[in-house]
Order: sequence, then structure tokens, then C-alpha cells
Amino acid sequence: MAKEVIMPKFGFTQEESEIIEWLKKEGETVEKGDPIATVSTDKLSMEVEAPERGILAGIRYKEGDVVLVTKIIATILQPGEVLPKKNAEPETQKIEKDEPSKPEKGIEVSATPVALHMLKDAGIDATTVQGSGAGGKITKADVKAYLSQKSTDRHGGKVAATPAARRAADEIDIDLTSIAGSGPLGRIQEKDVKAAASHIVQAIPPTIPAEAPRIPLKGMRRIIAEKMTCSAHEIPHLTLQMDIDMSDAVALREQVARQVTGKDIKFTYTALITQAAARALTRHPKLNSSLDGDEIVLLPCVHIGVAVAVEEGLMVPVVRDADKKGVYQLSNEIATLAVKARTNKLIPQDLEGATFTISNLGMYGIDRFTAIINPPQTGILAVGNIVEKFMPDAKRNPILKPIMTITLSADHRVVDGAEAAEFLQDIKTGLENAGATTV
Amino acid sequence: MRELTYKDALHEALDQIMAEDDRVFLLGEDIGVYGGAFGVTGDLQEKYGKDRVVDTPISEAAITGACVGAALTGMHPVGEIMFSDFVTLSMEQLVLQASRIRFMFGGKATVPMVLRLPGGSGTGASGQHSGSYESWFIHVPGLKVVMPSTPYDAKGLLLAAIEDPNPVMFFEHKLLYRTKGPVPEEMYTIPIGKSQVVREGKDLTIIATSVMVMRSLEAAQKLAEEGIEVEIIDPRTLNPLDMEPIIASIIKTGKALVVHEAVKTGGFGAEVAGRIVESEAFAYLDAPIRRLAGLDMPIPYNRNLEYHAVPQVENIVEESRKIVQGVY
Repeated sequence: MAKEVIMPKFGFTQEESEIIEWLKKEGETVEKGDPIATVSTDKLSMEVEAPERGILAGIRYKEGDVVLVTKIIATILQPGEVLPKKNAEPETQKIEKDEPSKPEKGIEVSATPVALHMLKDAGIDATTVQGSGAGGKITKADVKAYLSQKSTDRHGGKVAATPAARRAADEIDIDLTSIAGSGPLGRIQEKDVKAAASHIVQAIPPTIPAEAPRIPLKGMRRIIAEKMTCSAHEIPHLTLQMDIDMSDAVALREQVARQVTGKDIKFTYTALITQAAARALTRHPKLNSSLDGDEIVLLPCVHIGVAVAVEEGLMVPVVRDADKKGVYQLSNEIATLAVKARTNKLIPQDLEGATFTISNLGMYGIDRFTAIINPPQTGILAVGNIVEKFMPDAKRNPILKPIMTITLSADHRVVDGAEAAEFLQDIKTGLENAGATTV
Repeated sequence: MRELTYKDALHEALDQIMAEDDRVFLLGEDIGVYGGAFGVTGDLQEKYGKDRVVDTPISEAAITGACVGAALTGMHPVGEIMFSDFVTLSMEQLVLQASRIRFMFGGKATVPMVLRLPGGSGTGASGQHSGSYESWFIHVPGLKVVMPSTPYDAKGLLLAAIEDPNPVMFFEHKLLYRTKGPVPEEMYTIPIGKSQVVREGKDLTIIATSVMVMRSLEAAQKLAEEGIEVEIIDPRTLNPLDMEPIIASIIKTGKALVVHEAVKTGGFGAEVAGRIVESEAFAYLDAPIRRLAGLDMPIPYNRNLEYHAVPQVENIVEESRKIVQGVY
């Protein structure tokens, strides 16, 4: 009669064994007492003996499988017998099919049965748990550690916390997901909230005198606060910097100044940079775009917002079709807009429709800085001071050059580093060959 | 103050009220000549005669039914069910008659009776003479359920129960009869429906009844040596239940343990836990409410098994420690 071979229980507390090696193959004849497989508990390796003479058949587990004790691992058949159908398939595989923790797409996760059970109960994806057992096998202890650590992630993002902890969190206005729980299974206790709150309190300036002046966050200040907070939170900012040799630009400006002395014609670096950026934008349309839901909208016109500091904050009047205008015209337009901004005479149309922003703090002696994108735009260019620096010439001799650093902040959802770099390169080329600029 | 045993405090209450109020009379098995299975009635038949201390046949239904009938005529009967287990035979009289009459007659008839019910395990009396049945009666609107834990409360609550116009189930504990405590000589009542804080503490609120109050107090001493200060509240009346001190205490401690001898499932502890989570104390709970109660089984005859079937001092210590240390 067919005799089942079960995974033996070697120790009182032993729940499972790993099959290390099958010493006999299916179809081989075995004597009663012959070792047919080596298995290991967490402590030692043992041999499973054939329970009687016969032919080894119906091996259910492969080497490396962890099997619960008393599970059937193979069958010994007598000559002429066939394997009973029910003995054909390993039982644990059926169980594992239901496991939510069982990863798809062939990623093998190895875990002890107890650990698998715990993972299933807790609804945890086994691939997220680090195993500490042999070959990275996830053990009971690993799951326990994971659970106590990740209290906040369980149950669909719900936080395990006592009512007292929730009340305390509410009173202090602290987010429970930011707190580690010290209770059973990582549950947040009232004392955890209080401890977390004491850290927060420490971060606040200790005392604010009652007579300290307070400026209400209203009007432009509030709009700037909201827009910048939104941008900083939502837009993954990619920032790139580039040094630009402004020798040509400086020479051009001096030349213009000599030629047009006395006339009321302006020529500003801001205008020159605006023109270079605007033209570069026509060649790099993704920087002149707007992210709209799932689509990047390439904008047909290049309207440059130029940041102007005013008493209450900042205004960004818009130079329309900046790519199509000469430097004189841009200089005059920007100057006019700046005056209007400072005297509070801008009309709504002056502030609408920018597709890209330039912020120049060079005149304040700032060498370089990063700016925050003004949504829904994709990029903002932060322009620093022109500084004389010693640079190596062709013969590696130091010569003084006027150097300006520009910093681009771009929406990484729309553009990547290489594209942004090419755009900066384009501006650099334009400014370093300013002699060819249409003035 | 003079000290009396719980048994003698009850005897004194009966004696004093019988001397003063001839509407009060006693009914029960062996309460007269024999003086009661646990000696509570003692010499009262000698003192007040066979008409007022009536030895009845062995019929709990008859004792209870006679109480209900007498109470309806204006008497104040006090029945004794020798072992509270046999109140099972009085159920119809209690549940369908005694508790209902005042409601169903629009308050025109009342049933001012008291049923004294010695209960509890610890005497080796096995599965039919050791039970705790108070939870059954808190489920019956119209019955009041009283469960004193000290001689002082026993006297004051028994007198209050006899005065009360409603049927009162008066649960005594066999192990408490011998316990001693201060008892005033004069007649006094303790209001029915008033919980009492019997020990103050800051770490855990224990709500305990009957003999478990005594065990909790002993456990509290041991816990205090470990630096754990438990607050103990004895509801004394299980229905109507005074939650106020319990809620106030949990708001202070954030943790609660209910201890009773009756089996856990469907027990008084569940009612207390339910009321706690319904109350404002909910938001102050920093651990699950735990119940320590009798195992869901009849009381075994074997003394060792009997001992382990209901909460003992060491169980209360252990459970309290676990709650305070955040094991749950």
C-alpha cells in the first residue's frame, strides 16, 4: 500500500523544516530506514527516512522549500501501485496562491509559513519586508519588526493609535502619521504624541514678545505665499547652474553707450538676457510649456515675466513675444514695466500670460541663487551679478573676465536634466556671442 | 468604630428594621430554627416569631412568588435563596412578575421586596452551589441589583433595599461573611445607585465587584510596591449603575480593568466596558479596556481547579501590570 512520507517534527517547538537535498530520486527503490532527504530546522540538519520499503514517488517539494511539520512530502509506492491523485500536488502551493503577499511577475519571495500567515493577516506585500533568515527568508521576527515599525502604513494608511493618543494629537494639532508608536504592534500611545509634540515645541522660537510687530499675511503677500507653497510642494524642482562669460555682452553695452550718448536709449543686461532666453525658448519648446493634467502643452508664444521687487513684495510684469524683439525695445519695455510696477500703475494685462520668468538679482550683488517656479510655467531663470574673475585663457594664463552665473529651475515632471542643460547652453551661446545680437 | 463581620452586619440590619417596621418579614429555607445556612438570620425567629421569620418548603419559586404577592399587598418581604444558584427556579416570578408589575400597572402597584442571594465560589461547593448570577438580572428592567463588598455597605445597602419600592436583588458573597469592618451601630442607608472610589491611584482604574474588591485592594498593595498606583471603584449597585466616578477616574488614568467573579462572556464587565467607550472617557483611553472574570465554565469541585476558575489576587496583579506596562 502507498505510504506517505511526512515532514517529521524533531523538536517540541519546531514548526517547519527546509528541504536541503533529496537523497533519492523519484522512481528509485528504497529500503525501510533509508535516508531519502536531508532537511534542516533552524538549528540542525536531519535526515528523513523511508517509512518502508518501496519506490519513492510523488515528491511534492523541491530543495529549498520550507515545509510545515507533518505535511506529506513524498509517497512510497509498492510495485504496480500508482500515485493517488490527491498526492500529486504540494499543499502549500495552493495556500500560496491566495497570498496577497505573493509577488507577481515572478519575483521570488521566500518566507516561513508563519511569516506568510502574519503577512497575509496584516495585508502586507512580502516584497516590502526585509528577510533576515537564511537566503533572505522572511521570518516571524522580521514581520513583527516590520509591523511595529510600520504601524502607520497598515490597514490602508489608517493609523493605529489609542483614543487618548488621537485626542492628544488633535489638541496639539500634530499629524499622527508623523509619529512612531511605542505600543503593541506599533500602536501610537498618548505619551508618543506628547513626546513628538515636545520636539515640535523645541523647534519654535522660545518667546515672542507681545509688542513684536505683526504683519498680516494678506493681499499680494498671501498670494505669493500660497503660490510659492503650492509650487514648492507640488513641483519637483530641477536646478542647473551655468557660468557665462559676459565679455561680449559688456563690450556690446559699452559700444552702444558710446554710440548713443545723450540719447534716451537704454540697453540693459536684463534685456539682453531676456532676449537670449526668449530665443532659446523657441528652440527648446518644452521649457516654454505648461503642464495641464496628463498633458504638456507647448505654448505658441514666448512671453517673459520679469520679476520686479516692489515695496510689498514682488511683481512680475510680462514682456510679450520677447523672442521677436530687439534689445533696445526690450530694455525700454522692461524699464517702463518696472516703473509702472514700482508706482503701482500696472494694469492686469501687464501681468498676464507669462510663459517663462526671469529674475535678476545681479544689481543687488547676488552672485547666484535658485528661484521657485511660478506655476503653471515650467521654468524660471535666476540671474546673478556679473563678477570679474580670473579665468584661464587658451595658453592657461589667467585673465580677468566678467562672469555671470545663471540658475535654471525647471519642472522635472516636464523636462529632464539634459534638456534643461541644452537650453542653458543655448542661452550661454547667445550671450557669449552678443556681438551678433540684434540690438 | 465598632467592627462587625459582613454576616453580623446583615443580621443587625434585619434585626433593626424588623424591630422598627412590622411590614418587614423574612422567608427562606432553614432561616428560622436553624438560623440560616450561613447564619445570617440567626436568632431572628426566636426574637420575632414564626410569622415574621418563615421557614419555607424547598421551593425557590414559592419563596419568590410569596415575596411578590406579599409586596403587592404592602408588606416588605425579604426572601433568602440559600444558594443563589437556585434563583434559576425563581425566574418567572422575578422576570415576568416582580420586575414588570410597576411598569404594567402604570406605577399604581409596587413590589417592595428584597431577595437575598448568597453566591460565589471558594467553598468547594461545586458547580450547582458556587455560581455568580448578577449579570442575568442587570438585563431585566425593573429589578435593581445590589452587590455589597464590605460589612458597612452590606448593612447600609440592605436597609436601603428594604426601603426601596422596587424589587431588589441583593447579592452577598459566601467568602465575605467572615470579613470584618467598621459598622455604625445605628440604622443608616447607603443610596442604591452610587459607586464608590475605594482606593485612589493614577495609573489604572479597576472596577471590581463583591469579593473582587477585596482581592483588588490586596493586589493594589503589591502593585504599589512596584510603583503602580491603581484606583479601585466598587459600583456597589450594578443596576442602576453610577458611571460618573468610573468615567472621571478613566479620564485621569487612561486605562481600565473590570474584575468580577461571574463568567466573562455576557457579563457585567462587558456592560461597564460598553458604557466607558460610549462616554467622554473614550477619548482618554490609552489602552484597550480589559476584563478579568471567571472562566466560561461551571465552578469545578476540585479545589485547585476552583481556585483557578475565578480571578485571584495574583491574576489581578499580573493583568494590571500588563495593562500599565503597555503589553496590550
